[in-house]
Amino acid sequence: MPISRRDFLKLTGLVAASSTLGSCRPIYNLVGDPPITGWPPSSASDFLALNRLTFGPRPSERVHMAEIGLKAWVEEQLAPDSIDDFACNLRLRNLDTLDMNGQQLFDLSNKLFDDFDLETVPNQLRQGTLLRQVYSKRQLYEVLVEFWNDHFNIATDKGDCYYLKTVDDREVARTHALGTFRDLVWASAHSPAMLTYLDNQANHKGAPNENYARELMELHTLSLHGGYNQTDVMELARCLTGWGVKEHFWRGEFTFDDNKHDSGDKVVLGERIVPGGQDEGEKIIERLARHPAAAQFIAEKLARRFLSDTPSAEIVQKAARVFKNSVGDIRATLRVILLDGLPLANPKYRRPVNFIAAALRMLNVESDCGFAVQEYLLRMGQTPFKWPTPDGYPDRKEAWQGNLLPRWQFAFALVRNEINKTELDLGSLTATSGSGESFDALASLLIGSALPVVERDRLLASLRSAGASDDEVFPIFAGGLLASPAFQWR
Amino acid sequence: MTLTRLSSWLPRLAFAPPQTSPRGDTLVVIFLRGAADVLNMVVPHGEPAYYNLRPSLGIPRPDDKRARTIDRSLDLDTFFGLHPQMRPLLEMWQEKQLAIIHACGAPDESHSHFKAMELMERGVDDERGPASGWIGRHLASLDTGNTSPLRAIGLGNLPQRSLSGSVPVSALRSIADFHLGGDPRAVAQMRATLNTIYANDIPGQETLKILDILQKLDPSPGYGQAGYKPQATSTRYPESNFGLALRQTAMLIKAEVGLEVAAIDLGGWDTHFAQSSIMANLIKDLAEGLAAFHVDMADHLDKLTAVTMSEFGRRAAENGSLGTDHGHGSMMMVMGGHVHGGIVHGVWPGLDQSQITGPGDLAVTSDYRDVLGEILQKRMNNPAIGEVFPGYGFVPRGIVY
Repeated sequence: MPISRRDFLKLTGLVAASSTLGSCRPIYNLVGDPPITGWPPSSASDFLALNRLTFGPRPSERVHMAEIGLKAWVEEQLAPDSIDDFACNLRLRNLDTLDMNGQQLFDLSNKLFDDFDLETVPNQLRQGTLLRQVYSKRQLYEVLVEFWNDHFNIATDKGDCYYLKTVDDREVARTHALGTFRDLVWASAHSPAMLTYLDNQANHKGAPNENYARELMELHTLSLHGGYNQTDVMELARCLTGWGVKEHFWRGEFTFDDNKHDSGDKVVLGERIVPGGQDEGEKIIERLARHPAAAQFIAEKLARRFLSDTPSAEIVQKAARVFKNSVGDIRATLRVILLDGLPLANPKYRRPVNFIAAALRMLNVESDCGFAVQEYLLRMGQTPFKWPTPDGYPDRKEAWQGNLLPRWQFAFALVRNEINKTELDLGSLTATSGSGESFDALASLLIGSALPVVERDRLLASLRSAGASDDEVFPIFAGGLLASPAFQWR
Repeated sequence: MTLTRLSSWLPRLAFAPPQTSPRGDTLVVIFLRGAADVLNMVVPHGEPAYYNLRPSLGIPRPDDKRARTIDRSLDLDTFFGLHPQMRPLLEMWQEKQLAIIHACGAPDESHSHFKAMELMERGVDDERGPASGWIGRHLASLDTGNTSPLRAIGLGNLPQRSLSGSVPVSALRSIADFHLGGDPRAVAQMRATLNTIYANDIPGQETLKILDILQKLDPSPGYGQAGYKPQATSTRYPESNFGLALRQTAMLIKAEVGLEVAAIDLGGWDTHFAQSSIMANLIKDLAEGLAAFHVDMADHLDKLTAVTMSEFGRRAAENGSLGTDHGHGSMMMVMGGHVHGGIVHGVWPGLDQSQITGPGDLAVTSDYRDVLGEILQKRMNNPAIGEVFPGYGFVPRGIVY
């Protein structure tokens, strides 16, 4: 722990300053992290909290948390529109598809006499997502966007999802991440990407397709034990017949086709459905979003993401109560989970995206988050928007623990500056090497506090005996910290 | 904070396995994720109800003159036939090294992929059962004297749930990629770092041991992606993740690194919509992969068993979008040198209105644990099937000997 303020400044000052060095750097460095002017060291609980609220805390975020405390920090982040994100938006400026509508995305992908371009649009979405996770100042918002994109998972490999997911990401997760659960489910149910991914565009009168109806209840709202049965699935599927996607004019827009809608009598979850076209499905969506089972399900899932693989029943109950009483207000639910829960949170294993984003953020790395970085994500098993099944990437340690090697490969490639379009300014970092304090500062940056002297010196001795020169020790030490068991947890 | 403290509650090898037996076969477990439409893989062409339920999707009878020859099923025993893309499996079927168990599956009737897969990989009847996986418990309950870190692996990027348990298991996508990279000097430094920071961490230690073993395989001359020569020159694994996984498995078996169980996933079987072409491609990948593996492993078949499984089957009737919805009864295939092959095992429940169950599903007449339990007992020398499948009294079905 005893890292002096002076040493930390030396390190973080150089890290911040490094972003303005070099003549060929793009303009956005000029508006990057401001230099740090004061260093109150993080408490262990602040460090843990920031590791849940962000994709790995930057030094500036640690300083800010120390200044204003958890509660105020959370409140600031719950109002993302009031946080200036100019620097991050500049990085997105070449990703021109992120703001396009379905028809535009389709036209851009349609190469007329050649095959469709199935890569450009989803690649920009992946890159944009990672850039935001690493560089946006609206970190809690980005954490929630990832959460909802997992919850309403869509793989870009399926049919037209390769371009429709860009619209879905913007109009479902990004529009409603901190709004109400009802609006999220509503938007997702009207999302052409979702209706395509789960085959509802093929759900017609007399020829029902149960896929979306089942997952709407099992994965999106009630959960498996939420009190529905197979008959409810089949009846809900009938209610949703005719919900689909326009295929010609305004391609990629939601459409309801009354001719394909089954207007017969139906009973869903014990209630008779009054025939009413599109209204039938929408009324059920309202019911599902307000159902007590959904409150319990979402509260538990949020608590798992932020607090522990096995969150305490007490905090889940409290959050579920607030969720229910506030009619699915996500901010209100989060306040319970974060403010009551974070002080008692258990360690979480970093998922691959978090592992990479945290390394890039904590070491102030310049990266385009493009193919080179994503190649490591692929090997680690978490390419954004590639999880094939509708349950989304797992959020339990068991799913991720058995694949250490790609993390080690990334850690050492990063410190050796071997990753294309990804630059760690080791020159500046090594300028502080040679003293024990610089190693302690590095450890504090990455794992929250300095290593015990014995452990630090043992590691340094093993490096020296492996022939590491003075110049090599500092980067390999940094790689070792990233590769260490401690850094795999947050 | 220390480098290792946070991992101190990771599972440890806390007990000695209760059973000791000599090593048996290498078991390759192939999971077809998404609920494969087995009625179109092993087609009951002697069942008129099948064609009534699937007027558009049904695979034509082997002698159906109205259908093109290449679209017809391939007869197995005058009642069942294979999907035409399963043709590569005919040879091992005729050599009696491939057995089929039809109408096989789990008791769970949730029709939920995620519940069904979880229960099946844990090998339990309901969620109150042990959280570990059935393969994990098999490894933990049996001491074969094999201390290799490659006793079991999950092929791919994430280790399968079935592997979880007290014995650490790693994921492995490609042997050629499994190295630290860099010049010898850099590797030595990285290695020294990892040795120190993972000195007290079992999963990390296991990964380091795997690095050592795979390094000795020397990827350049004989075993690397480019240099590896399958058994017969005519044998080609499909250029797919599944083909890659089988090829890696074959390499590990030939290199005698101590592999006992390999878990492989082949996903994409959730065919609610326009399934014909999707199924054809998936079945092609599966059949060509298995056939290549069979040829490549010709000298090792005596000590090899491969099994395919899926979380459940699909509805007997096609849906309105040329696909099929979630069903119940499934099908398993077992390949190896000690298989009662060339036989469709199991009791066929039929597809008439009175014979299908739930919303119109193929019934389950054999539990998947009967098949796995028999393989573990007879081919893997594990007498403690009760520990692998707690609370289930398995019934051997005469699939292997």
